[in-house]
Amino acid sequence: MANTENTGKWGMVIDTDRCTGCMACVTACAMENNIPWTGEEEAGYGRGMHWIRVQRLWHGEYPEVKPEFTPTMCQQCGHAPCEPVCPVFATVHSEAEQINLQVYNRCVGTRYCGNNCPYTARTFNFFDHEFPTPMDFYLNPDVTVRRRGVMEKCTFCVQRIHKGQEKARAEGRPVKDGEIVPACAQACPADAIVFGDMSDSESQVSHIARSERRYQLLPELGTEPRVTYLKGGGYYGG
Amino acid sequence: MSQKISRRDFLKITGVSSAALAALTGCGPASRFVVRKPYPDMPEYNQTGASTYFATGCRECPAGCGLIVRTQEGRAIKVEGNPDFPVNYGKVCSRGLTAVQGLYNPDRVQGPLKQASRGSSSFEKIDWETAIPIITSALLKNEPSGVAFLMGLAPDHLYDLVAEITQTLGSPPPLRYSALGMFEGRTTLLQAVNNIFHKDSLPFFDLANADYVLSFGANFLETWLSPVRYSRAYGSLRQGIPGRRGYLVSFEPRQSLTSANADEWIPIKPGSEGLVIAALTKLVAEIKGIEGASDHSELDVAQVANTADISLKKLQEIAHAFASADHPLAIPGGQLASHANGLAATQAILALNGMVENLGKKGGLFLIPSTSVASNFSEIQALVSRMSRGEIKALFIHGVNPVFDLPSALGFQEALKNVSLVISFASFPDETALQSDYILPDHTPLESWGYQHVLAGADRPTYSASQPVVVPLYDTHATADVLLTALKESGKVPYQDEVDFLQQKLLPLLQRGGGFYTAPEILTFWSKWLQYGGWWTPTEGLEKPNGSSTPPAPAANVAELQEGQFFFVTYPTLFGDGSGANRPWLQETPDPMTTVMWNSWVEIHPDTARKLGVKDDDVVKISSPAGEIEASVYLYPAIRPDTVAIPFGQGHTALGRWAEGRGCNPLQVLNVQFNEAGDLAFGDTIVSVTPTGRSRKLARFESREGVYGSQH
Amino acid sequence: MAADAQSLTDMQIARYEEEEDPRQHLMFDPRPREEMNRMVLEAMQTTTPRYWITVGILGLLVALLLFGAWGNMILNGIGLAGVRPPIYWGIFIVTFVFWIGISHAGTFVSAILRVFKAEFRRPFTRAAELMTTFGLAAGALYPLIHLGRVWVFYWMMPYPNARWLWPNFRSALVWDFLAITTYLLSSTIYLYLPLIPDLAMARDRTEGWRHYFYMVLSLGWRGTEAEWLRLRKAIGIFAFAIIPVMFSVHTIVSWDFAATQVAGWSSTIFGPYFIVGAILSGVSAVITILFVLRSTMKNMKYFIRPEHFNALGKLVLVFSMSWAYFFFNEYLLHWYGGYKVVRDLLMHHATGPAAWIWYTMLICNVAIPWLTLWNKKIRSNPTAMFVITLLINVGMFAERYTIIPLTLGYQRFPFNWGQYTPRLTEISIVLGTFCLFIFLYMVVSRLIPLVPVWEVQEGQHAHTLRKVGKSEVPSVTELD
Repeated sequence: MANTENTGKWGMVIDTDRCTGCMACVTACAMENNIPWTGEEEAGYGRGMHWIRVQRLWHGEYPEVKPEFTPTMCQQCGHAPCEPVCPVFATVHSEAEQINLQVYNRCVGTRYCGNNCPYTARTFNFFDHEFPTPMDFYLNPDVTVRRRGVMEKCTFCVQRIHKGQEKARAEGRPVKDGEIVPACAQACPADAIVFGDMSDSESQVSHIARSERRYQLLPELGTEPRVTYLKGGGYYGG
Repeated sequence: MSQKISRRDFLKITGVSSAALAALTGCGPASRFVVRKPYPDMPEYNQTGASTYFATGCRECPAGCGLIVRTQEGRAIKVEGNPDFPVNYGKVCSRGLTAVQGLYNPDRVQGPLKQASRGSSSFEKIDWETAIPIITSALLKNEPSGVAFLMGLAPDHLYDLVAEITQTLGSPPPLRYSALGMFEGRTTLLQAVNNIFHKDSLPFFDLANADYVLSFGANFLETWLSPVRYSRAYGSLRQGIPGRRGYLVSFEPRQSLTSANADEWIPIKPGSEGLVIAALTKLVAEIKGIEGASDHSELDVAQVANTADISLKKLQEIAHAFASADHPLAIPGGQLASHANGLAATQAILALNGMVENLGKKGGLFLIPSTSVASNFSEIQALVSRMSRGEIKALFIHGVNPVFDLPSALGFQEALKNVSLVISFASFPDETALQSDYILPDHTPLESWGYQHVLAGADRPTYSASQPVVVPLYDTHATADVLLTALKESGKVPYQDEVDFLQQKLLPLLQRGGGFYTAPEILTFWSKWLQYGGWWTPTEGLEKPNGSSTPPAPAANVAELQEGQFFFVTYPTLFGDGSGANRPWLQETPDPMTTVMWNSWVEIHPDTARKLGVKDDDVVKISSPAGEIEASVYLYPAIRPDTVAIPFGQGHTALGRWAEGRGCNPLQVLNVQFNEAGDLAFGDTIVSVTPTGRSRKLARFESREGVYGSQH
Repeated sequence: MAADAQSLTDMQIARYEEEEDPRQHLMFDPRPREEMNRMVLEAMQTTTPRYWITVGILGLLVALLLFGAWGNMILNGIGLAGVRPPIYWGIFIVTFVFWIGISHAGTFVSAILRVFKAEFRRPFTRAAELMTTFGLAAGALYPLIHLGRVWVFYWMMPYPNARWLWPNFRSALVWDFLAITTYLLSSTIYLYLPLIPDLAMARDRTEGWRHYFYMVLSLGWRGTEAEWLRLRKAIGIFAFAIIPVMFSVHTIVSWDFAATQVAGWSSTIFGPYFIVGAILSGVSAVITILFVLRSTMKNMKYFIRPEHFNALGKLVLVFSMSWAYFFFNEYLLHWYGGYKVVRDLLMHHATGPAAWIWYTMLICNVAIPWLTLWNKKIRSNPTAMFVITLLINVGMFAERYTIIPLTLGYQRFPFNWGQYTPRLTEISIVLGTFCLFIFLYMVVSRLIPLVPVWEVQEGQHAHTLRKVGKSEVPSVTELD
């Protein structure tokens, strides 16, 4: 089933039962995608540039209080609310990867997509953020460094998808399952994040996504999110 | 205007797919003089636009995970986990990920410095030709007993080298200290293992295969022993075996990330852990019908439950579930060791494991097949008192920041004044470096050679190998090389340089065999060692503990609080031993439980806060006999109302632009008191809380509304 | 002497009112053509140094508050504004909607009342049309101001380019852009057409630069039958054509919100709700401005009379009630519909930390007009009307504030619920556009006749008092 074309329906499954909320995904994403830090004041004002955030909500009252961790990033909706509202086609659906792309150099900064994203997954460059030399040495050459006034968001590490596909093509073979992983899934110490091709029904991600613990965020909106979550906490089924 | 590097500035990846793209190829010619040249002068194996991957070892904490560092055009781009490495299996934590922000930190010490006077921050650049004779004379001209080394828990190779040097010189052996070691009660755990199982090694808990786990203050998802390894095991505990989900019960006064992930969090009274363990032991013994728990026979379980603030029914339920589980496991953590009866309590936990017969069994307790050494806290105190008495003439500090990392009540900084010569090998101008005469900066870990002996997180004998992934950025020298050069003329050490030392140290591994690769001679072994990022055996090699002896029951250790007093909890965060505070992305990564960024906070239960008349973001003063600190309040619903907690890691007065002047250092209020193993009993600190009437807004990632149960 | 004449007029009008004389109505209180022309020109030309100093200060404020702050924001980043995720739109868009709302006044008062032949409209159609144009000018700045990268704003325009890139016609912002442009153009033409005869009148009665200025602007108007015929035809067409444009503009502005997935925005009634709100705020703003004109400009008390406040006051009451209908309808629907997110959001507006804004909105938009405007005495009192209508516009600003940042701050994930506080730059720019509006109005009110003299005269011709027996009965001749 695995294809040799540069296509695929990339998808992700996040097992919230495995997720410990340790934030490694958040840091990994920042280091892979050249995400700038914003400093105490800006971050405290809610302008942190985190492409992935771990939502922690408390349940219960002391002493039965317990947080619930939900890593939330762009859900790469099949029917994305951010896409139709952009006046300049800066947020578009890619036919090859079937994910939402943000075209940084097309973005004029209306922030309309940010409003319309029900997952509030988009972050905006309110200022130019500096990487004081030599901190800029570690910037990933595969990922654009964004300037002020443009929107950005999780890309499913599209640069890694392309790299993996190029490598497979150069070797004349289909992309192997699990060969392409985004930075968050690669780092996740508890293996809570699984990534792969959803159009391949035999891939690990497809298998896990069929779990009876599966759910999606805000399914009532019909956004067809490409990220599936698995229920955690006290659920003993397979 | 910031630095703008557009995609166009870099050459796009060409379709090359050969060696460069395969991970694990990265050693190049098998020479000790391999350097990773920067862009304008690249070695021939480096292709423009294609990444080169180097296997190396992580030195951010003592766990010693294996890393793969992606480099391109001579720059370290991204830290990834080494998928083959038997500790982290390709995974990596936030601290490891930001190693490149340590390497490329603009606040690094860029070359050897002489400080005009200690604490003056007025530095004079010197060169290594001047610096090395100073070390030579400090090592050779002083009384051997007047030379002391204080080192961190990483890297191991330097410790081994220094241990050899001090032995040759007749100086006291180097002391190793790390705030992380203190927080995880490493010495206590070692001592307990020694007392119960008569071995000098750390235990390994097979969390992945257990099905009913009791954790007493072991924050194994954050920093305890080998967090990545245990996080991975936690994932398997939950969903690793189809149809089964392990159950985790955590006992501690403040809900840590580990407790937050537990199925049950039992907020027992600080100090009552030992009693609860004794009561559990008694109950389990009764359920299993085991004789020989006689030491506990007089214990009144109901009274224990009352003292510890846990319902008797719950205690019995837990004991029953633990006793009847297929794979029960009890884990003693740092919070447990941090009380005056910490050793007895830790021993009791180890014995409890023995009682449910999980020693050396799947899902049970094992021993790591290597011996560990760690200095206990009273040895550090002894060093400090020798320093104050002026007995130390030359103090060498590497890999640790004692002015920050030690409780200020210990008086390290004052004692330092009586040391004639203080030499710091720090890469950053940290608090200790600013109190020294010379800063002779070591390379940062990603520029260094070395090895780390994995002592906690691997299920087999494992070494991680460090190699420079980039050419050293500044005029820094490897401390091992500096010491070897300094002693070269005296002929007291048989090593040519650091790489020579490492290779000689590897010879036993080569000769012993049993690794997953072999080599006919050291150079081939060396190249494989670098290529794979270390050495380990292909099969599991954990030891089954035996000779379990019944320990004495832990003594009661519950303090009575006066009005206005609180138990005090401090715990390590993403910043590890505090050195992570100057990495902007560690500062910007929200704390998992509170989502606070860039500052310190005091966790206070909302009810307590109401009584104190404080609300979110109000600044309160925390004082103890040892000192006082201030921080903003975070209303934390998951902490005992009689306890307050402050995370450790912030409160730097030096270290760099992102760390300085941020938050407070909770070690300033810790009393210096010890448990039976000589570890710091920091859990017995009692503080009082006074509102200051000021308010300082914390940078919280979460909303201030809507997160306390009012969600949709 | 002129001042005496004015106070005489005022006294006379007051007496008419007391006696309930029909001559209290402008239409039944004719003056000779030449005198009226002179009155209008006098109102336009009488200024004091203080007036121009005020204009100068306003101009300075526009330069500083609006363009200075905006320029600074362009250089440093939109972060100088207080917007933050998920509240990506703040007071800029609030003020944008506010100005677009204000701009409905001109069209509504002028075109709709013209079409429906409401005679009381005659003296203040131009004042209202000017509001439309300047309100739009102020409002149209905001889509530019709030852009993250304003220097590439033209990418939102459909223009042919080598990369074959067109704007996304599915985006409400593109419709917005087109609708506002259309409205600005058509309302400017609609302002200009009825102005031509008055400009010609001014041309014939002025000297110096004004003479040349009006000569150019009046396009050689001579007042022939054929010219009048064509002018009336053009005005007639525009009056009808501009009404759908007006309705479409605010509907489209509402689609910026309604055509999204944001809880509390995605609503089918937003189109009419916004229009009613816009007309409410627009008509109120007309009253506010009329009061100011009446009390500051010479001879205006003759043209703008309590009867006009009375008539407009009735309209305000009607629109306040319609607005309240839509407002409560929203609550009723969501209470019945039961989508928890929206229900919680609406509850949050009423009970959350920013509830005072919600209460301000209800008090100003509902309580105050309903409690006062039923009373003719209050409606006919210009000062009272000034205060009431000013409060209504405060309420309408609060309404837009509630709809935009307060709604965005309480979306589906409580994890990042939050508040937004406008920052100095934003407040400065908002104040700057208010200054811009006043500045433009003050300058232009001294450049063009603010009262459409020919319309007033036309109306007075059609209105007569006929003697029937001993009493005088007002009678109106149907025009057209």
